[in-house]
Amino acid sequence: MLTRRDLLQTTSCGFGMLAFAGLFGKSALAAPAESENPLSPKQPHFAPKAKRVIFMFMQGGPSHVDTFDYKPALERDDGKAPGQTVGGRGNRKLMRSPWKFTPAGTSGLPISELFPNVAEHADDLCLLNSMVTDLPNHPQASVQLHTGSFQFVRPSMGAWVLYGLGTENQELPGFITINPVTRVGGAVNFGSSFLPAPFQGTAIGGEGQRLAGASIPNLANRNLTKDQQRKQLDLLQAINRERLAKDKVNSELEGVIESYELAFRMQSAVPKIMDTSDESPSTLEAYGVGGGPTDNFGRQCLLARRFAEAGVRFIELGMGGWDQHGQLRNALTRNCTAIDKPIAALLNDLKLRGMLKDTLVVWGGEFGRTPHAQNEDGRDHNATGYSMWMAGGGVKGGLRYGATDEHGIRAEEKKMHVHDLHATVLHLLGLDHTRLTYRYSGRDFRLTDVHGNVATEIIA
Amino acid sequence: MFRLLMAALGLALFAAHVRAADADSKPDDPKGIEFFEKKIRPVLVANCYQCHSASAKELKGELRLDTREGMRKGGEQGPAVVPAKVADSLIISALKHADGLEMPPKQKLSDAIVADFTKWIEMGAPDPRRPNSSTVGSKINIAEARQWWSFQPPKVTPAPKVKNAAWPKSEIDRYVLATLEAKGLAPVADADRRTLIRRTYLDLIGLPPTPEEVEAFVSDTDAKALEKVIDRLLAMPQFGERWGRHWLDIARYGESTSKERNVPYPFAWRYRDYVYDSLAADKPFDQFVREQIAGDLLPAKNDAQRNEQLVATGFLAIGPKSLNNRNNEQYLMDQADEQLDVATRGVMALSVACARCHDHKFDPIPTTDYYALVGIFRSTDTLSGVKRGNNKTGYSGDYGYMIDAGKKHETGTEERRKLAELKRELEKAQEDLQQARQQARQKLAAAEANGAKGKNKAKNKAKANQKLAAAFRQEQQRVDELTAQIAALEGGSSGSGPPVMAVRDSARPANVQVNIRGEVNDLGPEVPRGYVRVLTYPQSPDVVPAQSGRLQLAMWMTSKHNPLTARVMANRVWFHLFGRGIVETVDNFGALGERPANPELLDYLAVRFVAHDWSVKKLIREVMLSRAYQLSSDHSDANYAADPDNKLVWRMNRRRLEAEVIRDSLLAVSGQLDLARPAGSLTQTITGGEIGRQARTAGLQEPVKFRSAYLPMVRGLVPEFLNLFDVADAELVVGQRDVTTVAPQALYMMNNPLVGEQAKATAERLAGKSDLADNAARVDYAFRLVLGRPASSDEQAATLAYLQSCEDAPAAWMNVCQTLFASAEFRYSY
Repeated sequence: MLTRRDLLQTTSCGFGMLAFAGLFGKSALAAPAESENPLSPKQPHFAPKAKRVIFMFMQGGPSHVDTFDYKPALERDDGKAPGQTVGGRGNRKLMRSPWKFTPAGTSGLPISELFPNVAEHADDLCLLNSMVTDLPNHPQASVQLHTGSFQFVRPSMGAWVLYGLGTENQELPGFITINPVTRVGGAVNFGSSFLPAPFQGTAIGGEGQRLAGASIPNLANRNLTKDQQRKQLDLLQAINRERLAKDKVNSELEGVIESYELAFRMQSAVPKIMDTSDESPSTLEAYGVGGGPTDNFGRQCLLARRFAEAGVRFIELGMGGWDQHGQLRNALTRNCTAIDKPIAALLNDLKLRGMLKDTLVVWGGEFGRTPHAQNEDGRDHNATGYSMWMAGGGVKGGLRYGATDEHGIRAEEKKMHVHDLHATVLHLLGLDHTRLTYRYSGRDFRLTDVHGNVATEIIA
Repeated sequence: MFRLLMAALGLALFAAHVRAADADSKPDDPKGIEFFEKKIRPVLVANCYQCHSASAKELKGELRLDTREGMRKGGEQGPAVVPAKVADSLIISALKHADGLEMPPKQKLSDAIVADFTKWIEMGAPDPRRPNSSTVGSKINIAEARQWWSFQPPKVTPAPKVKNAAWPKSEIDRYVLATLEAKGLAPVADADRRTLIRRTYLDLIGLPPTPEEVEAFVSDTDAKALEKVIDRLLAMPQFGERWGRHWLDIARYGESTSKERNVPYPFAWRYRDYVYDSLAADKPFDQFVREQIAGDLLPAKNDAQRNEQLVATGFLAIGPKSLNNRNNEQYLMDQADEQLDVATRGVMALSVACARCHDHKFDPIPTTDYYALVGIFRSTDTLSGVKRGNNKTGYSGDYGYMIDAGKKHETGTEERRKLAELKRELEKAQEDLQQARQQARQKLAAAEANGAKGKNKAKNKAKANQKLAAAFRQEQQRVDELTAQIAALEGGSSGSGPPVMAVRDSARPANVQVNIRGEVNDLGPEVPRGYVRVLTYPQSPDVVPAQSGRLQLAMWMTSKHNPLTARVMANRVWFHLFGRGIVETVDNFGALGERPANPELLDYLAVRFVAHDWSVKKLIREVMLSRAYQLSSDHSDANYAADPDNKLVWRMNRRRLEAEVIRDSLLAVSGQLDLARPAGSLTQTITGGEIGRQARTAGLQEPVKFRSAYLPMVRGLVPEFLNLFDVADAELVVGQRDVTTVAPQALYMMNNPLVGEQAKATAERLAGKSDLADNAARVDYAFRLVLGRPASSDEQAATLAYLQSCEDAPAAWMNVCQTLFASAEFRYSY
């Protein structure tokens, strides 16, 4: 009897498309026919710099002028109220950063004392100092950062990447989001919208949850040992194969058979990766795992490395609490302390394993904060100029790209809109953002819609 | 209001001016246009329009870059673009920041962009942005466009003669067989009776037959055995739930606002129940649609009908909403867009919403048609119970209210007469107002045309404004007064009943202006309310200016002259019974949709549907009684080679069951399913505000045993099982769900307690059945129970061997039942 593969090879593309559609839904019709599994690795449009992404999403709007955008003039003009406040809210006064900036690394990038450990990696960092987004509202800006659109429900960046590249380890989901924020768009931020469901992100844990103990749903059976379940699965597959024999040609059913085998493998593979007990005490210490303020984000970073190493394509780490309208001094210190050491450890670890060169690390929030003070010890939302940074994955280290005005109110040089960020991330992964399209409801959609310019200057 | 009007006048005049000026109408070569659209326009929009377009706050250097004309005419310094002459085109030196002209001023664009512009000018600067092909004017030739197949009225062409005259059981079969024979194909064998009865049950009520029902059918030798089953199932309330759920996919049914501020809709379920009841009652489909578009405006025999029709308009109110939008105009435009989309795509499979920013790229729908329809929805108040901005609960905004028969005071004849009178007066006052506005516009235009300059002009304009405002202030006052009186009078006879998500005509129905490129701040000419022009027919009802136009829209959509409505629904019915539409793209009958695989059959069904008073049940019945529906899903090499997609229906398609059917089947087999309709929705257990913020949503997780059709559909919090098995996205119009096969589904079937519990209950059922003599009989019955058929000898042997290898017998039986639930066959209809 012919196998499905034989048939695929001998018949016209009509059947290839059918088999594909059968496995993964009608909408997969727009995808290339040669691959049966939408998640199997695909060729990018051109040679990629990065193979995978680790995106650290700092929800709330981290203050750029206190972290990665050094503004000497802000110090000078502390207490003055130049011109129009962003958003036009009253007559607010500029507030100097309470933290010192020192040049770090041989590149001398100015980095705030809030990030002493990250500063040691200055020569790997590419600071994006001229970010802009459309709206200074958390929900819209967060959703736009993730999907490109604040107006409509669209596929998330991770889903697009998975759609474009597939993933390398079929025992694991290709897009994992660890501790995703549940507000500000929630599942939309890692959803697949009109892209087929296999491209959506798989969540582990939730916002603010302790990671120890979190996992993927339905991963373990309460009643059966592994061997017992394998025996049950053998009976199941026998029944499935009998049906397949009756049906003669049924690619969907083959898909079901394969899905059970993958699920069975995932049951072992995922907990193995989630279980960090095989890490050396010094590694755990480096990430700050083992209690204390760095424990949770340390675990997130450590898991990110483990998933990256295992071939997961897109990994997002979520952390909320960056909305400092007040209590800037305390809260920002607390937040940065929680992530500084873990991030440094992650960068270091990736480097040691030779993975930083093809792992794109992206850090940032949905917008930044005003250089003007709010409530004496706080700053307001600022969408007209803020900072993110990238490291690894083929970007130039030790670079400050773009700039805001002297106080950090507006991006002025080499403005980088969120669409440009998306275009650049896709570009680093070997994907042309204008060609990564999906036909839905009668038109071709892109992550960048009709926008997006690749920031070619930051590419090494 | 007045300011808006002035802005409109200004722009309308301006548009007329540009039209006259543009004499150059030679079409560009499509490759050039493509280059412009890909490389040039996006750069202009992103970097130049802010200062050099109609939407600029202050036009810099007298230069407009948002029209072809503007670019060539140039600004203070000369032409920005001279086709084919790069050196003369100022835009190039500006982009290069050379010769003292630096644009954009703050940031030089990349060399790649400059190279694109150079290439573009060398190409002759192809540019489609002529006023008469822009968003405002339109090039679409309506008469020509009407020739498109789906815009032609359906008509019956008698089925051709078939060679195998013995095969057809019905007219449908003759159409099917004729197309097969034309390709030299023959249908496969009929389905066996067990397969057929399971298929019939699953299709009609979404539940599997019991082993006893299967055997009764198998042994019923009556020629009308199937017909009897079909009629019995059609009469069950479960039919309404099954087919109503299909409609809810199209109606993007969801019980919260979704998006950034996800506020629950605690009363959306009334609309859900309305849909189920309407399908169960076989409400004529045209009436069903009319009620959902304009139920509040339809005559009602009694309070019950009035309430029902009010609930129906929930169709327009339950959509996702961006409550966080800071711009009210944008919010209302997005809402109207969403309503327009669900109405036109859901009922007519037409993507009108694509014409929001420009004329539809593929279908003959000018952007003015879009705004003609938007005007109707903007003249409608949406009563969703939520409001833009912060919502403490799902009660922060306005609702509609049912008439509570218990509480309402009797509306006397006198009051009704008074009400009717007031309404007539209101209509008159609104017409007066309209007229006053019209006159105002003309006067202003005349004043502008008189061409006073400078200070004088401003003075004149201000004077005119003052006069005109006074001119229709009176009319406006009268309208307001009357509206208030009517509301007071009506309030007396409604008001006290339960809240409903609904719509009503707004107090001041009005046309809207085109939003150029979809921008709410960039207004074009006003468009009279109306419909999609290519689909108007001689008897199309006109919008009455004093009303929103929804009632007329509903009439137009459901007229038998509308070529799409009946066809689209007939196709949807076929899709649900065969797994593939005659038109494969069930939600798109436009140019980007597929052509019908069997156009004569589709037209036959559409015409029959209307002739049978739009009865969905009669249509379903007729299709199911065809021999085509009763085919097996057997493979055939020859047919497969010729028609691998089974477009021509040489067999029945194997179909993955919908998420709801899989869950309900699990519960039905285990004996745990509760068929009673739950009161309301679990969404009502949410307390405390926005979902994902303060709201407490634990109540949604309550383990319930009622049908999946009643599970809470809070957007973003859809029950795990439904999500895993591809339930329709509650934000989108979904005529055809995805079918995915992914590992998390397998994990669920293997490990989730819900499946385990049903397996255990099923094992207990087996153990409790004393007439099963031994394990072999039990295994056989388990297969009948779960899969609707006896076990094959191999399956029997494998299962018995498995049982023998297990030590703990009850656990082993549970595992067997779970295995059957997990099997591929359980989740498919053959």
